[in-house]
Amino acid sequence: MVLMMAPGGTREMAKLVLDEGADAVYVGVVGWSRRGSEHELTDDEIREIIDYAGERGKEVRVVVNTLPSSTEIPMFIERIDMYAGWGAKGFMISDVGCMRLVHARLPQVAIHTSVGCGITNYEDVRFLAESGATHVVLPYRMTVEEIAQVKAMTGIGIEVFLFKTPSGGKICPGKCMMSSYFSYRHWLDQNGKDHFFGSASRGGDCLRVCQTNWTFGEDEGGWGRAMTIKTNPALWLDELPAYLAAGVDCLKVPGRDRSEILVRDIVRFYREVLDRIEAGAPLDLAAYHPRLESFHQRWKVERGQRDRRLIGEAEREARRADGAAAVAAAQ
Amino acid sequence: MFELSTNVASPRLLRRGDYSAYDALYLGDFSCQDTPANFSSHPELLAEAVDLVKAQGKKCYLRLYAVPSNHDLDRVRAVIEAAMPLPIDAIEVHNLGVLRMLREMGCSKPVHLGVFGNLYTDATARVVKDYGVTRVYPNPELSLKEAIYIRDHTPIQVLIPVHGKIPLVISETCFILEHAEHRPAEGCGALCSREHWLTRTAGGWSLKDTGRMTLSGSDLCMLEHLEELAAAKLDAFYVQSHGESSEYVAAVGRLYRDGLTRAFSGQPAGDLSAALEELTALAKMGLCNGYYFENAGRRYLGRA
Repeated sequence: MVLMMAPGGTREMAKLVLDEGADAVYVGVVGWSRRGSEHELTDDEIREIIDYAGERGKEVRVVVNTLPSSTEIPMFIERIDMYAGWGAKGFMISDVGCMRLVHARLPQVAIHTSVGCGITNYEDVRFLAESGATHVVLPYRMTVEEIAQVKAMTGIGIEVFLFKTPSGGKICPGKCMMSSYFSYRHWLDQNGKDHFFGSASRGGDCLRVCQTNWTFGEDEGGWGRAMTIKTNPALWLDELPAYLAAGVDCLKVPGRDRSEILVRDIVRFYREVLDRIEAGAPLDLAAYHPRLESFHQRWKVERGQRDRRLIGEAEREARRADGAAAVAAAQ
Repeated sequence: MFELSTNVASPRLLRRGDYSAYDALYLGDFSCQDTPANFSSHPELLAEAVDLVKAQGKKCYLRLYAVPSNHDLDRVRAVIEAAMPLPIDAIEVHNLGVLRMLREMGCSKPVHLGVFGNLYTDATARVVKDYGVTRVYPNPELSLKEAIYIRDHTPIQVLIPVHGKIPLVISETCFILEHAEHRPAEGCGALCSREHWLTRTAGGWSLKDTGRMTLSGSDLCMLEHLEELAAAKLDAFYVQSHGESSEYVAAVGRLYRDGLTRAFSGQPAGDLSAALEELTALAKMGLCNGYYFENAGRRYLGRA
């Protein structure tokens, strides 16, 4: 049976998705996952959600998928030990070295690679399996055929997003540093934890600079056109039976940074569809398209609001740093 | 004492360029297999190129394609097979799957981990070291302090880019081809041979795009910090020249050869204004220090 994992961007969202039928919830740790702190949970909240899930026979995956600084690793390991002690069944990790360290200490826990690993082929998957991964999240650009090939060649647990882009292109997340090139700040908190504003890979938010208005074209008088740099992914449905047949083990609902109500509705929707597929009931997926379309529209509105907020943050930080540099130059 | 290296994509560039300032050359464009006569995807071109580089007394490294999908792996294997008997000094990989393949194929050459290997920690450096990696190019988001920490605590050699545009994003498809005003009827038409830029409509931000890779708009420049690099006992330096002219490669190499020689022999850097003026003239969107000093990559701090 496929495991449906859903986001717990807040304590309330985590409980809602478990109530709506998710088999597991994934929750980010403040400062240690690829989101801003408003979509991450404190340790007390994580413990509460682990207990809440356990009481219902469900699981928690803890997202610790930043690419940390080397000096943070002892702190990282302490946290993993603590969450595993509380009953977390698995972790989502990007850094290969951290993956190997966790596997050596806690061979019983599930280790899901994060999208930050930027997998492109089955040999990548073999490498990650040798480093301790039990599940790999495949990029949403991979076709059903490629996923089936990865499963056949490696036998590892396969996780896919219920989310995909209409085209290939720039490898994001995983191989993109555009956000921090324009807007970035590093500081240490009172516990000695590093924070990297503007770098999703390092635990800050991606500031979505790709979604501002750009002009792309040939240098020196050639053609030019207005655009955003990347296309946005969207929820999918029609491929679901094929994905299950290809051997997918985990389906990941996106949306840690969406509203609790939207994520709740999406989880309810996919639970219903999955239950029908798994029961072998006759299924007309086209009948679900109007509901899927309504999710697309709601998602687009929420994403637009978030993108505008984050781009605004990037601009403010850039102006702050420009101002500081000007003052320093004048002295 | 130190090594200064740069990259060369094809035989034409190798023959046309002046690489006299460099100790080592990375052969190949790791970002695109369709680049005409790319060493990274044309094994038949390697032997002659390696001879040419060796005849100049330089070290010769081969770059492998950075983001192979399942169906690209056989092509990458063919390049490795062709490279193994040649006197290549090291092979550079960006993809951890390809790193694993090298070991499985019995490759005994040293391996360098490239910029898109996503190396952030000494823990990961130890993992790749176990697969034969001897030199790592830390992720550009790392500060100089972090790169030195990785060198000392792994321990492993780190490659420090000192000049050129910073690779920021790699792509599986060609951004230029997807958006070109006139798409060629067949193939890609090597549209990337002309310069393409992304500029923010509201102004202020720019990026260079070479089709399969997006680079910083500004040129990383560490000329004012070479004494600091020498004092830290760093010893492998790199000029990123993908998408740049032969004149750029020669001029930048000459200035850094001079600067590094002075720094490593304990001579003061002296007045760098003429050199900085020359580098600024070569950089269409100005200079930056990348993330070395814990700032946004596009900032330039100058000498501390």
